[in-house]
Amino acid sequence: MADRLYPSHGTGAMNQVELVENEDSIEISSLAPHFAVHKFPWRQVFGYVASLVLTAMAFILVINHVLPVSALVSVVIALAVLQAAVQLGVFMHLRESRGMAWQILVLGLGGFIALCVVAGSIWIMMFKSGVA
Amino acid sequence: MSQAVRHLELPEQQLPLEFADYHESIKVTGFWIFLTTDLVLFACLFATFAVMRYDFANGPTPIHLFHMGPLILETALLLTSSFTCSLAIYQSRAQNKTGVLSWLILTILLGIGFVGTEVHEFISYVGLGATWHKSGFLSAFFTLVGTHGSHVTFGIFWALTLVVQLVKRGITPRTSRKLYTFALYWHFLDIVWVFIFSFVYLVSMTGGKMA
Repeated sequence: MADRLYPSHGTGAMNQVELVENEDSIEISSLAPHFAVHKFPWRQVFGYVASLVLTAMAFILVINHVLPVSALVSVVIALAVLQAAVQLGVFMHLRESRGMAWQILVLGLGGFIALCVVAGSIWIMMFKSGVA
Repeated sequence: MSQAVRHLELPEQQLPLEFADYHESIKVTGFWIFLTTDLVLFACLFATFAVMRYDFANGPTPIHLFHMGPLILETALLLTSSFTCSLAIYQSRAQNKTGVLSWLILTILLGIGFVGTEVHEFISYVGLGATWHKSGFLSAFFTLVGTHGSHVTFGIFWALTLVVQLVKRGITPRTSRKLYTFALYWHFLDIVWVFIFSFVYLVSMTGGKMA
């Protein structure tokens, strides 16, 4: 695993000139890039096993129908969100970047819009029966 | 270097090729922005499906159409292809051209298996009279799942062009960046599929009502 080579973040007005000059500088510590380096692809194997386990859990829960329907739907969606996080973090190298990992911010905005569109549509349709 | 400012996490020589080259690294960021717009596209199709999912118009319902067999096969193929694709990236960082090509070709084959199973599934639905003209549910279903399937089909042809480029040019900053953006695209489609099998298939099979 690659360790950070540079001292941790701090602020100071003195450094503003340098921030502008260097395109690779890191001003926001939560967007600092990170690279994982291993001799054997353990991360990938872990990601694959995790995705298989999460998928199997969702299928087994639905096939056996052990939970009440509303709880089952919530658990299946939660497992999907968890699996998306595994794919993003392990397979898509979300934090890899030269300079700041701006894609985290962009993806966060896209995810927010996606959530508003989907959850908003489901929510508004709950009033359908009240109108009809 | 000043104490207050961190620059590259790794020195330039130690960065993977696609990030060591400044211009190629910008293209990776650009591709992330494209993926975000694609995410919003799929969100619209998921929202449409969520709204239309009970509009059967006396046509077939999910209980009639969906079966576990093809669904499990498609999911296993796509999850495995996501894994083999990540190994192609791992091998590209180890500068192992044969390794990259092997895992990439395996990824393509698994992708073809996925698309083939899905086409077979769609044909069987049409045979049961479940075409996308039939009902709101089927229009939304075929549009959402079909858009994902056509993305995967496009990805297969993209990966084939990468195989040719890697054979001819080897692992260069350019080809490794192209491979890296392809991998981002492929894993993204895997995430979309996870939501399709959860939200479209499994939730419909429970008979659960969402709205």
